[in-house]
Parts: sequence; structure tokens; C-alpha cells
Amino acid sequence: MSDVAKSSGGAAPGYALRTGLGPQALAGLALVALPVGLLVTLTLWPTVRMVGATFSVDGHLSAERYFAFFNDVYTMANLRYTLEMGLVSAIAALAVSFGIALYLRFSAGRIATMIHGLSLFPLFVPSIIISYALVRFLGPNGLFQLMLEQVGFTQYRTPYLTPVGPFLAFVWENLPLPVLVLSAGLSQVSDHAVEAARDLGAKSPRILWEILLPQMRRSLLIAFALIFMGIIGAFTVPYMLGPPAPEMMSVFMQRTLGNLQDPASAQVQAVVLMVISSIVGGFYIATMVKSSAGAR
Amino acid sequence: MLSRRQFLATSAAAATLVSTRVSAEDIKTLQVFIDGDTNISDWWNNILKPAFEAANPGRTFNVTITRGVADGNGTIAERALAALQAKADPQVDYFEEIEPESVAGSVEAGLWLETSEANVPNLKMINPAAVQTPIRLPYRGSQVLIAYDSAKVANPPKTFADLVAWAKANPGRFTYGRPDKGGSGSNFVIRAIHEGNGKDPSLFTKDNFEPAKAEEMLQKGWAILKDLHPFTFGEGTYPAGNSPALQLLAQGAVDMIPAWSDMALQAINNGTLPETVKVVQLQDLALCGGFAYSAIPSNATDLEGALALANFMLSPETQTSCVRDIGGFPGISWDNLPADLKAEYIDVIPVSIPTFPSGDWQKAKNDGWYKNVATNIVRD
Repeated sequence: MSDVAKSSGGAAPGYALRTGLGPQALAGLALVALPVGLLVTLTLWPTVRMVGATFSVDGHLSAERYFAFFNDVYTMANLRYTLEMGLVSAIAALAVSFGIALYLRFSAGRIATMIHGLSLFPLFVPSIIISYALVRFLGPNGLFQLMLEQVGFTQYRTPYLTPVGPFLAFVWENLPLPVLVLSAGLSQVSDHAVEAARDLGAKSPRILWEILLPQMRRSLLIAFALIFMGIIGAFTVPYMLGPPAPEMMSVFMQRTLGNLQDPASAQVQAVVLMVISSIVGGFYIATMVKSSAGAR
Repeated sequence: MLSRRQFLATSAAAATLVSTRVSAEDIKTLQVFIDGDTNISDWWNNILKPAFEAANPGRTFNVTITRGVADGNGTIAERALAALQAKADPQVDYFEEIEPESVAGSVEAGLWLETSEANVPNLKMINPAAVQTPIRLPYRGSQVLIAYDSAKVANPPKTFADLVAWAKANPGRFTYGRPDKGGSGSNFVIRAIHEGNGKDPSLFTKDNFEPAKAEEMLQKGWAILKDLHPFTFGEGTYPAGNSPALQLLAQGAVDMIPAWSDMALQAINNGTLPETVKVVQLQDLALCGGFAYSAIPSNATDLEGALALANFMLSPETQTSCVRDIGGFPGISWDNLPADLKAEYIDVIPVSIPTFPSGDWQKAKNDGWYKNVATNIVRD
């Protein structure tokens, strides 16, 4: 990729002629040269170096650190918790946003516009604000508990500092993106298909299952991949709302690096999380490629 | 034409302008660097500055806050060290808080001015427990205390055993912060480790860390904390820091927590914590604490002024303000402070200020707590 950056930045017309690149293509390459160059020097290169470093123990090539990672009960509990949290929160966020997107697809008017606006609202609220708000709202003797007590319910146990705390924050925080993606996907489902099915006597669940869902598969996969990757890398929400143990990987990583001053272990944790993210990211890219190929 | 009154008013204003300009040139401004929390920088700017100006006509100081910028005061000290070597102006006269030894090469190069009663007369009143080396100028301290709601807790604990007994009798009403997220939880965990090791802080030194032995000693602390675990708030949900713990106390979710003396006293004073919250120190062995140390670079352009500031900081008036306004502990002995102040704070005046070594011991303590106390994972 650095070659691309060089040739485009270096303006070598002979080279361009020989490969049949016109001035327009060159200009295009020049435009991407800067971001690609930044990506290579600031992200890819340090990543490659770091991954290399995790396999080097006292100058020898060794997977010792990875054995240590996968054999440590505490670390594995953290990894499992992170993946479960990502999976459960992402599915819940998808379910809720699919409901909102469906409603928006088949309704119009002031209320629909309001709901649309509300569902996008979390996009503009930073995680730290969500976290503080949830502490005040759902925390012990918070507003929610006081409201429940007003109606006579006194058995409330706060989700603050338990896994339910970050779960709720993640679902709320991750509504806007899938609402946008799924709304776009649903708008491509033609009214004719839905009406035709209805004319043939199909009930709503069957329309959902046989008309909408099959056409929404790609949008759902894309939305899932984006949310899941965001959640397993999230720091602020689990740091502020989550239980002390198990820890989500980002919090664990920060503690390993900052408090235990053990960068070698923190790097291994980062690589494992990165590999998981790239598998999910791979699905995302494959889905995108497939859909753009389909569009052609 | 100007009336007489207008003329007088105008000339008076002009005279004031002229006079302030002249005196502004005469006033010597000391450069003070602070990287501590807002409570400290606010205290310096709003309370200490006018008091210092009144006590030292012709002098003032300018506070530069380095909190969260690079390595804070450490970075400024590195610049001063470079200036010392280049014989240039270090642009700093006073470090509000710094650990001189942590600035590599600075002690050997003679960057720090040695202080004694000869150049800072008020050092004669200093609390002997705070004295370390001549380049470290102790001036305020803080220690972890037990904060409790006196409306709910009739008899506050006097010993660690009392505290555990109270927590067990009142499930869910006590908690402490995660040890890596703030000193209040950390020093409570240390207190449990001390409890398990014969209440003897001297067993833990900077140089005696040895993994196998440490594991054995720490396990005695973990046993105590694991025993306490199911009786803490949310059955072991430990808040993530000093402030989140104080928040639980403020919301009435718990009735007792360990807290930093300055944070708790200031929160009570400004109403963040209810008035019924009181603080107490354990009498069998206090929780850990420490002093904040100032330092003066030997190449400061206004050494005389810096020493005057040091002396002002250790005056009984400033030290009283330290207790009253920021809830800190005085650097000078309590005997040099007003008797009523001493009487008011008698419950929290430490008999001793135990410490716990940094480095390997801290890491083993924090990681060990997560793996042994915070989790319900069965260890094999």
C-alpha cells in the first residue's frame, strides 16, 4: 500500500501511461494517499510490530504468552464475559431497533417523526454521560427506585455495578446505528411484495418471517457486526457501571497496562481481542462485498 | 469646562492608574506549579494567594496548573533540570507537590534546594512523622478514615475487628472501592492485609518483596476480605473509585465506607455529604496515609521569595486553613494549631500514619485482590 502512496504522490506520468492510468485515476489515488498513508504508518505498522512482539520471549520465537493467556482461569472468565456481553447486548439492541425500524417503515406522521428523532438521540450523547445518567437513574435510591416505591414495589435491586448495568447502557447507546441501517434496508423492501402477501392472506408474523427477514439478512448482519465490535472494545460503560469481576477486556487491559505495568500481557490481550474483532469484521466486509456485487 | 468634582474624580483615577502601574512593576511574582486536584489549585488561588500577598507586601504568586498535562509537575521539573544544566531561567520557583527522586538525575545534579530551620524558620514546628529528606518540604497530609452516617451508626468502630463485626451485623451497608481505582479502597485493603499480618506495617518494605513469601502474607489479608465479601454492598460489587464510593454514602445506599480525610471532610463542609456523616480513625492501627511534599528548585530566580512562600505555607494560619478549607492534615504538629481546632478533629488525628511500599507490593496487592476477593471463580 505504501507503493501506491509513493507512485501517486510522486506524480510519475510515464508510469501512469504504461499502466493506463489517466490523470483522473491519478487524482483519485492522490486523494486516498494521505488517509492510506496515515493508516499504514499509525495503525498497521505499529500493529504488525506489536503482534510480532507478543511472540518474542527473551529474543526467542515463542507462543508462551498465549499459552499463559488461555490457561489463566481469571483471564478466560474475562474473555468469556466480554463476548457474552457483546453477543447479548448486540442481539437485544438489534431486536429493539428492528422493532423501531419496522414501526417507522409502516407509519408516518408526527409521532413517527418523534420516535425517529428519539431513537437517534443516543448518537449525540457520549458514553460517560450515559453512564452517569444511568448511575443517577438506576442507582441505589435513584429516580427509578423512588418511582417504583411510589407504586408500592420495594424489592428493587439496582443493576449498578452488576452485568445488567453495562448491558442496559450498551442497548441504549447502540440503538441509532441499527435503526439507520435497518430503516435503509426496510425501505428497499417493496410495498408490492408486502401487499401481495397480504392479499394472499398472510398474517403479519408470516410477512415478517417470509418477506421482510429474508430481505433484511444483510442489513441485520452489518448492524450486528458494527454493534458487536463496538461493545467488545468499549471502556467507559463497563468501567463505570460494571462489576469488579469479571472485567470486560478493555477495562482488564487498561488495568494490566496502567496498574500492573505489564505491557507484554496487555499486548497479548489486545491481540486476542483484535483477532476476534477481525473475524467479525471479516463477516462485515464479506457481506458488504456481496451486497455491492449483488447491486451490480 | 470640568467641574471641580469631575476634575478631582478624574485626577484621582489617573493617580490610581499611575500608582498601580508603578507598584505592579515592584511586585515580584513567584511561579508556582500545581498538578494536584481542583480542590488544591482552587485553595491556592482563592484563599492562599490573597493571604500570602497580605503577609508579604510586594510579593505574589502565579499558579500554573499542570494537572493531566504530560507528566504534570514532573515534566516541569525536567525542564528546570535542563535549564540548570544550560544555566538558563527555569521559569519555576515552587513545586506545590512533587517527588524529587522520581525526576531522573535531578537529585544528583543538585536541582533541589535543601530546607531547614535556618532558611524556613517555621520548620521548627513540623510534624516529625512527616520529615523525610531536606529537599522534601512536607506541608499537608491526608489519610484514609472511616466515614459513617451517624444517624444510622450509633457506635462507630474503634478497631478493625469492630468494623468487620458491624459490617456482618448490617449486611450490604458497608463497601469499599476497588483497590486499583483509588486510594480509599486501596488503603482499606492494605489495612486488612496488615490485620492478617499481626498489624505490623513494618513487615512490608520496598526491598523485601519476594513472590512466594508475598503470596503467603497477602493470603492472610484475602481470607479476611473474602469473609467480608458477601456482607458488602450488593454482595461484592465494590464501586470503581473514591468518588463512586462517596456517592453511595451520599445516596444513603451504604452507611459506612473508607474515605480520604480531605475528600470526606470537604464533602461534608460543602454539603455533598449529609451533615450526619462523621469520620473516625481506627485506633488499633490507623489506615494508611501520607504527606504531600513541596520542593524548591535551587536555580529559581527568586529563591528568597520561594523560601518566604515555604515559610508562609507552614505558618499556623495557613495550616489551619489547610484543615478548615481543604480537609487536609497539617504538616506541622497539632500542638502548634489552635486548641479548638485540635479538639474538633480529635477523632481523626492520627496516632500514627502507616504506609505501604509502592512497586511490586502494590501490584501484587491489586491483582491479588481481583483474583482472590472480587471474583467468585473457584481457584485451583
